[in-house]
Amino acid sequence: VFLARLFYLLPEILRMRSQDKTRAAEGTRIGQRNRAHANIVAAILALLALPCGGAWARQTNPQQSHASRAAASSTHEVTDEIGRRVQVPQQATRIVSLAPNLTEIVFALGEGNHLAGDTDFCDYPAEALQKTHVGGTVNPNMEEIASLMPDLILATSINRRETVNALDRLGLPVYVTDPHSVEEMIMSVEHIGNAVGVEKTSKALSENLHARLADLDRRVSGSAQRRVLFAVWTEPLISVGRDTFIADALRRAGGRSVVDTATEWPHVSMEEIVKLQPEFVIFASAHTGDAQHDLETLRSRPGWRDLTAIQQGNIVVISDAVNRPAPRMVDAIEQLARALHPEAFASGASRSLSTITADHPEIESDMEEVCLCTH
Amino acid sequence: MHPLTVRRLLWTCGGLALLLLASVVLALKLGAVPVSVTELVLDLGRIALGRANELPSEYRMIIFDLRLPRILLGILVGAALSVAGASFQALLRNPLADPYVLGVSSGAALGSILALIIAPGLAVMTPVGAFVGAIATIAGVYFLGRREGQLDSTTLLLGGIISASFFSAIIMFLMTTLAGRDLRGMVFWLMGDLSTPISAGMQWVFTIGLIAATVAIYSTSADLNLLLTGEREATHLGVDVTRVKLVVYVSASILTALAVSSSGAIGYVGLLIPHIVRLIFGSDYRLLIPASALCGAIAIVLADTLARTIVPPTELPVGAMTAMAGAPVFIYLLRRGLR
Repeated sequence: VFLARLFYLLPEILRMRSQDKTRAAEGTRIGQRNRAHANIVAAILALLALPCGGAWARQTNPQQSHASRAAASSTHEVTDEIGRRVQVPQQATRIVSLAPNLTEIVFALGEGNHLAGDTDFCDYPAEALQKTHVGGTVNPNMEEIASLMPDLILATSINRRETVNALDRLGLPVYVTDPHSVEEMIMSVEHIGNAVGVEKTSKALSENLHARLADLDRRVSGSAQRRVLFAVWTEPLISVGRDTFIADALRRAGGRSVVDTATEWPHVSMEEIVKLQPEFVIFASAHTGDAQHDLETLRSRPGWRDLTAIQQGNIVVISDAVNRPAPRMVDAIEQLARALHPEAFASGASRSLSTITADHPEIESDMEEVCLCTH
Repeated sequence: MHPLTVRRLLWTCGGLALLLLASVVLALKLGAVPVSVTELVLDLGRIALGRANELPSEYRMIIFDLRLPRILLGILVGAALSVAGASFQALLRNPLADPYVLGVSSGAALGSILALIIAPGLAVMTPVGAFVGAIATIAGVYFLGRREGQLDSTTLLLGGIISASFFSAIIMFLMTTLAGRDLRGMVFWLMGDLSTPISAGMQWVFTIGLIAATVAIYSTSADLNLLLTGEREATHLGVDVTRVKLVVYVSASILTALAVSSSGAIGYVGLLIPHIVRLIFGSDYRLLIPASALCGAIAIVLADTLARTIVPPTELPVGAMTAMAGAPVFIYLLRRGLR
């Protein structure tokens, strides 16, 4: 393409030069000067461009620096969740996390001491705040990351693909996760455990999370699903699409989002919500500061005040962990399940029943029915 | 103004090139990892002598794999936008013309987004799409601005502004409906951002394209001087107006497309730099074109250094910096010009 342009331009330039010459012959001084100037400027530009080209030519062998380091400590190849092949160390000791959920996973795996850097938004656990921050999730500072000399960088779908490519080009190993459901979040925990070199811990953690979710499922599967609105933001109203991990979390807590779109974070019309009348409105506690889910405020707002759920006070504020695909998300799901289905957690009897049925899933459904009848 | 001589041209360009070198050194020095100038000069010397391996690897990575390519991209983008701006100002005989104001940047942005959607695997399609978008926009705006065979400056600028907002609306529409992973990073890119490095192939395309288009525009600079007096007058003085216009339109569109496809829509540089150069060095296009290229490069390098270091470790898009600095300067120039 470029050659084509050059071919187009060159004859133009040559023709103009020759025209300048003829004009110069006619005694037009402008042309003469112009030609001299054109040559000079071309020379200056070429001189300027040469070092540019030279500098760029040098950085076309990006794997060099990494290769030397890779040889020093033993590495092994893994495939990340978006299908890239990454050389990770046997035991990562300088991890940089590019998203809050990844930071939480690293700490949950007991590898917080090996975390060299995280983002401005990594606020859980409290130790995460003490780490070197490399900037935001969308525009982390490349220099800051490189200066930490990481042996493993963790990225996820909220990071830009361009960031991952740029780190790749520097020869830094980036493992990218891409969870779209609670199950995939648990798989990410296992994958990160493998990439970091703590398989046993991650296996145990994933089993524990699976067990808790199974218990939750036994409790809420008997009750009717609650029709809920999950509000990511209120002004404008942004909710969740069906393929997000939040929608999955709602389902696991015995709820079903009234918003059902393929768009991940749809901007929803309030009219539509008034028509659909959700039974519960759910907020994550992240925005408590601006009180946007304050009941009194919502009751006075047009649209919101027409929702039966708001009028009756059926508002659930759950931990902002629901926004982060990390182990703590299961806490938020349990919290939400208790709010949506208090009957399933009501009596000590229910708790013991489910403990009994844990080993005998075949009698579970009958037991659930008993619970519901007595309720 | 003194008449332009080769000596004056050389002195001016040489001085500006030194200034550019100084800003490059400053930009290399400042950032997350501080380096002293002496250290930097010594290391550059080591690299020149082919002894780069002696440098610590993280240091080499930061200074020479991260900072330097970004600075070089900044030089190319700044030079391309300023030359494109100066060319549009001459062609349209309108001091307010620039790729951003005329909607050419938005057209190029839309073109590269469409290219990304149609052929996601082909990196080279992005500048081609941007070029098609740029040239289509300038043609459209030019025809919008023509009234009874004469270019009407107000209609022209309004046409540009309307095209820009129309294209932005289409871009928003595409980004909402096709909300995939590939287009999300675009919000940043649309503001004008140098933090994403371009591929090695694109670097060469950009470097050679910039030189070819600038030389092509420069070779018409004497004609552009005459064209500023009016198309009819230029024709009487022996200028082949149609051909000059064609060459400059195509070249300026190539420059805009190269800049936009590698760094998004960075505003105000193409508008302001030629103005400042005119104020300082006079409006002879034979000096204006090279001086604008150098000053544009200096401006972007400094603006991006500021964007990188103003709120560490977070980086701002350089487009935000140029707009913040550019808009007030522009208003100042406008008021000064009116008096």
